[in-house]
Amino acid sequence: MTASDQIGSVTPVRRRPYGLLLVATPVLLVAWLVIWPIISAVIQTVWTTTPQGQGAVSLDTYSFFFSDGYSLSNLSMTLWTTGVCAVLLLVVCLPIALYLRFSNTRVAVYVQGLAIFPMFVPSIILSFAFIRVLGPNGTVDLLLNSVGLPHIRSPYLTPWGPVIGLVWDNIPLTVLILLSGLGSVSNQAVEAARDVGAGTLALLWHIILPRISNSILVAISFAVLGIFSAFTLPYILGPAAPEMMGPFMQRTFRELLEPKTAITQAVVTFGFCIVFGLFYVRSVAKNRAA
Amino acid sequence: MSVLKIKDVSKIFPNGTTAVDSFSLDVADGELVCLLGPSGSGKSTLLRMVGGFETPTSGLMTIDGEDITNVPPEKRPTGMVFQSHALWTHMNVFKNLAFGLKLRKVAAPEIKRRVEGVLELVGLGGYGTRAVTQLSGGQQQRVALARSLVLEPKILLLDEPFASLDQHLRERLREEVRDIQQRLKITTLFVTHGQDEALSMADRIVVMRDGKTEQIDRPDVVYREPQTPFVAGFIGTMNLIEGVVSNGVFSKAGYSTPLPVSDGPAILAVRPEALDLTASTTGQGKVHRVTDYGTHGLVDLELKDGTRVKAMVSHPDLFQPGQGVSLAPRAIAAYRDGKVIHRTSAVAPAPHPALVDA
Ligand SMILES: Nc1ncnc2c1ncn2[C@@H]1O[C@H](COP(=O)(O)OP(=O)(O)OP(=O)(O)O)[C@@H](O)[C@H]1O
Ligand SMILES: [Mg+2]
Repeated sequence: MTASDQIGSVTPVRRRPYGLLLVATPVLLVAWLVIWPIISAVIQTVWTTTPQGQGAVSLDTYSFFFSDGYSLSNLSMTLWTTGVCAVLLLVVCLPIALYLRFSNTRVAVYVQGLAIFPMFVPSIILSFAFIRVLGPNGTVDLLLNSVGLPHIRSPYLTPWGPVIGLVWDNIPLTVLILLSGLGSVSNQAVEAARDVGAGTLALLWHIILPRISNSILVAISFAVLGIFSAFTLPYILGPAAPEMMGPFMQRTFRELLEPKTAITQAVVTFGFCIVFGLFYVRSVAKNRAA
Repeated sequence: MSVLKIKDVSKIFPNGTTAVDSFSLDVADGELVCLLGPSGSGKSTLLRMVGGFETPTSGLMTIDGEDITNVPPEKRPTGMVFQSHALWTHMNVFKNLAFGLKLRKVAAPEIKRRVEGVLELVGLGGYGTRAVTQLSGGQQQRVALARSLVLEPKILLLDEPFASLDQHLRERLREEVRDIQQRLKITTLFVTHGQDEALSMADRIVVMRDGKTEQIDRPDVVYREPQTPFVAGFIGTMNLIEGVVSNGVFSKAGYSTPLPVSDGPAILAVRPEALDLTASTTGQGKVHRVTDYGTHGLVDLELKDGTRVKAMVSHPDLFQPGQGVSLAPRAIAAYRDGKVIHRTSAVAPAPHPALVDA
């Protein structure tokens, strides 16, 4: 055996443990703080004690959740809010991102600042600002009154309350993700498209959107994941019933003192989020492969 | 059958840079004109204005008599080939070429026929289903060229399309583009800052400097009769010696030669290949370095004040560093105030410009 053979055979074996050590800490943390709570939550919800004092597996809490009209209407309300927010976010953020990417005026700098601003505002402050502006006897109401117009029907405490708040709250992240996607569309590619005769719409549809479809998917998955389990905004701005899953869980746990039911609601929420999460992972994987 | 006219076009960017300054040019039908100039001379800006990507601050541009000054790029009969990164990576080669035809609502069989024809023309027959990311740099630029050609533009615009390629590939593609251009007789404006590229391809060369025209002429004329010292120094190698004329004699640091112009300062211009050297002990200059290129030699010599002069010789072995030589130019030109004031009528037989070491 020559010296080089030895080096060749020894090094990888020696290196492997170090690499594993490096990832061990985060992996253990994730296992402890994320994976274990999930497993324990699932076990708690399916493990019951029979009157005879024996343990048994039972899906009772889930069948209750999926047969209870109130739980279901909360779930569908959450899905509705998430869907509407996702659509609105795209409709609002795509034009902003396009403007920021393709405008080179000074105004763009301020628009960018405005678009990112909500990131620095805690949801709780946002909620109260919302109430002061759009709530009953808020600024808008007062302004309308002062010129003799009737009261608005305030979105406060309707399903649209959380929608407006959540969209506002999620604009910065969505804009930033879309903007980074648009960064990969080169100026020359855009100019070449115009050169062969593409107008604004054709340019958007055939050249720009296909190039940022991945970013759109990522942005939407991020927004959806956050919105689906949002708490503060729906809690303060939303209607009392039906309510979104976040406040619903909290109320079940704190006010109704039914931890098992609350955990079941959490597991169901988690199930939905994992589906969106898979979308995200898939698009990242596709991006990597390309 | 297309003629491009550019009249007094200027471009002043919002930051105050005057990139193009009252530029005028007529490009005849089927002609290939090269815009040549140092970096920042406004070549790209001018080309982008013709393509519609920049709006002129003032001036007029017409194609076949039709005013296009304010027509957006998507409505102009021009086709532009960019330096790089202009292919749409989410489409394969065929789709890249077909996109413009689809926008024009050409029928599918016709699209297929035309795309395949053009791919054949640029030497990429059968590459239609390739992803553009799986092409080499040279192939990508051919696709970019094909994408413009397939729409049969009236004016073809190329902005340093080969700048990112290596020397060999650049030379080959340059010839191919010239062939295709002549076959299709397509009116072409070509931007480059490589003088060999301009000299070997162009019907006419526009030498630009600071957004203005220095000279517009055939390549051989630009090479043999540069109108300004800038052009003289920019195209090929030229010895530019600054000196003084008095009583019809130009002199500089012990070197003098008859120059029939009025008294005053002047710049004497001599091509290395038009400068004969003879060994002499009372020499006007001293050999500094001799380089043997096999086919010829290049002698670097110094005048008494250290001014460097290059001369091309057929027998480099006759000269050694440190040796005294005297200079005998066969053809000279003289410039004063940026204009030519004298040129010897006898034009020295020059080798093909492209062969001259830059
Ligand atoms: N968008 C712009 N805004 C401001 N100034 C610009 C802009 N584009 C170009 N310029 C300036 O205009 C001048 C001409 O630029 P241009 O790109 O036309 O030069 P060029 O001849 O193509 O140079 P190169 O050979 O380096 O490509 C330069 O001084 C450049 O800095
Ligand atoms: Mg340029």
